Amino acid sequence: MIQGLVQLFMFQTLGELASKFALPFIPGPVLGLVLLLVYLGLRGHVPASIDFVGRGILQHLGLLFIPASVGVVLYLPLLQANAWALSAALGVSVVATVAVTALVLKVWAKKDIAP
Amino acid sequence: MSNHLPPISEIWVYLSGSPLLALVLTLSAYLLGLTLYERSQRNPLANPVLVAVVLVCIGIRVLDMPYAHYFEGAQFVHFLLGTATVSLAIPIYTGFASLKARMVVLLLSLVAGGVTSVFTAVGMARWLGVDESLVRGLVAKSVTAPIAMGIAERVQASPTLTAIFAVSTGILGAVLGRYVLDALRVTPWWQRGFALGVAAHGIGTSRAFSVNAEAGAYASLGMGLHGIVGAVLIPYAVAWWY
Repeated sequence: MIQGLVQLFMFQTLGELASKFALPFIPGPVLGLVLLLVYLGLRGHVPASIDFVGRGILQHLGLLFIPASVGVVLYLPLLQANAWALSAALGVSVVATVAVTALVLKVWAKKDIAP
Repeated sequence: MSNHLPPISEIWVYLSGSPLLALVLTLSAYLLGLTLYERSQRNPLANPVLVAVVLVCIGIRVLDMPYAHYFEGAQFVHFLLGTATVSLAIPIYTGFASLKARMVVLLLSLVAGGVTSVFTAVGMARWLGVDESLVRGLVAKSVTAPIAMGIAERVQASPTLTAIFAVSTGILGAVLGRYVLDALRVTPWWQRGFALGVAAHGIGTSRAFSVNAEAGAYASLGMGLHGIVGAVLIPYAVAWWY
């Protein structure tokens, strides 16, 4: 377990360094993700230690954004004043996103069958 | 102050000075949320994060604990977000290895969906007169929350609002997604799953997994790829927009 944790932290650190000194417009952890992806590609499989710790953390991903989300208490009056408009915007947007993504896949997959 | 403080308040003063109280509050709220979620047969409306956030908000209000004070303790949980983001490489790699053949069409639909997500949300919100300080929180809302919060910091948006909007989007997508897909007669599981993952990230993905394993695999790939592509492209979109 410790081995996997150390490796994940290492990629996170590398990502932070790359973000700080080379690609400041991309968040460090995302660069860490890409570096780990490259590493996994080179290895050709997911090492058991990384798999164990990584999956454990991802299984409870939701827990990790509770502390930041509780900050909603600071925005409550502003959110209440805009509640309907925000819900409408979020609802319409997610429906449109599902629709557009699925339609592009559907149209493209048809093309594959009948060239 | 009185010299006869009851012991309970001494315990209280001691506890509120340590990070333990915030940690116990966060973890037990999440545990309760998870239990409710399982009891409800994994109904997306009983989302464990939503339940936990409401519980913690009530908790810190009852305890009269300022948010900054709460976060000081809970930051140990918050810190692992970066590590979790790095770990997302695992499902992406696994998905990538088995779904390579369809990569071009997947990326194409992902970019189309991602652009739709940003522009419809910001456009609708502006049109409906949503306060401008909230609008920025919307740009990364279809990206998985840990990455969305990183993007938010880059584009001077509030990570808190972004996380809240991301969770709301996930729930809405998980609830409404199937009706949209049925209406459009999109039947193949891989297409349904991928669309859900792109639009509703982690919450949509767990919904997809609960319906069909193939849909789940494509959903987690959609979520992961949207995270990477969003992190690279959304800051440009925002810079261009403002």
